Amino acid sequence: MSSVIWYLYEFARKSWAQNFAAAKSNSEIMDKPSRFRDYPKVHKEYCIACGACTAACPAPMAIKLVRDVDSAHEQGITYPVINNRGCIRCGFCAEVCPTDPKTLTCGENHLIREKFTILPVDKKYVIDDYLCIRCKKCMKTCQVGDAIIQEDNKILIDQKKCISCGECLKTCPVKGAIKGIHIANVDEQKEIINLVVDTLEAEIEAHEEDVKKIGEGEVFKLDMDADDLIEKARGILPNEELIHDIIENITDRLKLRIITWDKNKCVDCGLCVKECPSHAISFTKEEGVVRDPDKCLKCSICYQTCPFGAIGYYIARFLFKPSENGGNIIHITLKTSDLPVRS
Amino acid sequence: MLDGLKDIIRKSSIHVCLVNTGGCNGCDIEIVALLSPRYDLEQYGIYVHNNPREADVILVTGAIAEQWRDKLQRIYAKTPEPKIVVAIGNCPLTGDVFNQEGGNVHAPASDFIPVDAEVSGCPPRPSEILEAILTVAPGAIAARGRQKL
Repeated sequence: MSSVIWYLYEFARKSWAQNFAAAKSNSEIMDKPSRFRDYPKVHKEYCIACGACTAACPAPMAIKLVRDVDSAHEQGITYPVINNRGCIRCGFCAEVCPTDPKTLTCGENHLIREKFTILPVDKKYVIDDYLCIRCKKCMKTCQVGDAIIQEDNKILIDQKKCISCGECLKTCPVKGAIKGIHIANVDEQKEIINLVVDTLEAEIEAHEEDVKKIGEGEVFKLDMDADDLIEKARGILPNEELIHDIIENITDRLKLRIITWDKNKCVDCGLCVKECPSHAISFTKEEGVVRDPDKCLKCSICYQTCPFGAIGYYIARFLFKPSENGGNIIHITLKTSDLPVRS
Repeated sequence: MLDGLKDIIRKSSIHVCLVNTGGCNGCDIEIVALLSPRYDLEQYGIYVHNNPREADVILVTGAIAEQWRDKLQRIYAKTPEPKIVVAIGNCPLTGDVFNQEGGNVHAPASDFIPVDAEVSGCPPRPSEILEAILTVAPGAIAARGRQKL
């Protein structure tokens, strides 16, 4: 009984009767929200008739370039026309439109642009994740504040924020974990790298007789004057800092493989001729077994094949450092390789 | 007198049948959204039946695939008079993204059955569909009803 009275009381309320009579969805939840990306709007006067919008449009009937009729004084303007019956409101046309201001506008997403933060520097800093020990010293010293970030337990440099000041490189305790890369003059940089490697190889080959005497476990040390090399590199690109950086970086990571050939021990068995993957070793009756150094890949297969020990295989490492008398030297260290000889 | 009575009843209760003739289902989902409490289609006296024999309004979506050409006409024939057709979305209007070179769609739908109202968009907003049905359907149904009788 009480529930019946409660129902009667509820239905007798004026607000209930009003709502019942005018039951309707609120117009503000029915209307398009302001962020809704509607059909693109065309601003004819900016169009350059490049056709990028028609190429980007996924619907075949949606967009067409139209040209007005020429008048006596000037040519008719070309502009895109949107067919609402075909347009899917994706906004691609507005996104690809290259004019500034845009000929086509559609929603707001395509108007958001990242701020232009590129500073006129020719150096870019990156972190080598393989060498990074995650001490986060670079993060603390970063001048920008948040240009070095941690993401998925990796330390990264945000290139959009980095101002290339180089402070992080100075504090990094691991050599090579942060690298300063020169962005400009890439071809010249390649030339300098080739020059350095060729010079070092020639230097070692000049000492071939000494190299052959290296026994197992022994280390052969050699100092090369680097001033000539730097002088030659200046001829390629006169940039002192870049040359120093390149030579230092290349000598840090470079591992040269050296092959020596002892003619006296060779018995012309020809076992290595077949094994060589690049056909650098050939056999003729007059000359015996001959190695072509230009073709050689230094893969060490001949060294592992030779049963007579005629071929030597050595690993060379380098260190670039200033010498006592003010110049620069490259310190070369050679040792025999640990590779086993196939028996 | 009888016509006047019929008009009032037809205006206040519209029965709708949804026909997807090979589209991506996006427009159908928007129509289903109309049934939700947010838009609440039934407060306007519109009922979705999905049975052409009970329908006053056929909502056509999709780009008319090969198999739908004769079946669409059969569905139209089965619908009792007075009936109107509303094409929902871009597919029955132009074929939209399906109407590529080498495609096998037979848009527009008006090639096969008379279309009274068109709602463009891919998909159109539920409010746009509702607006189209409400502005076109009652008047068109009443007019067609008077024509025949």
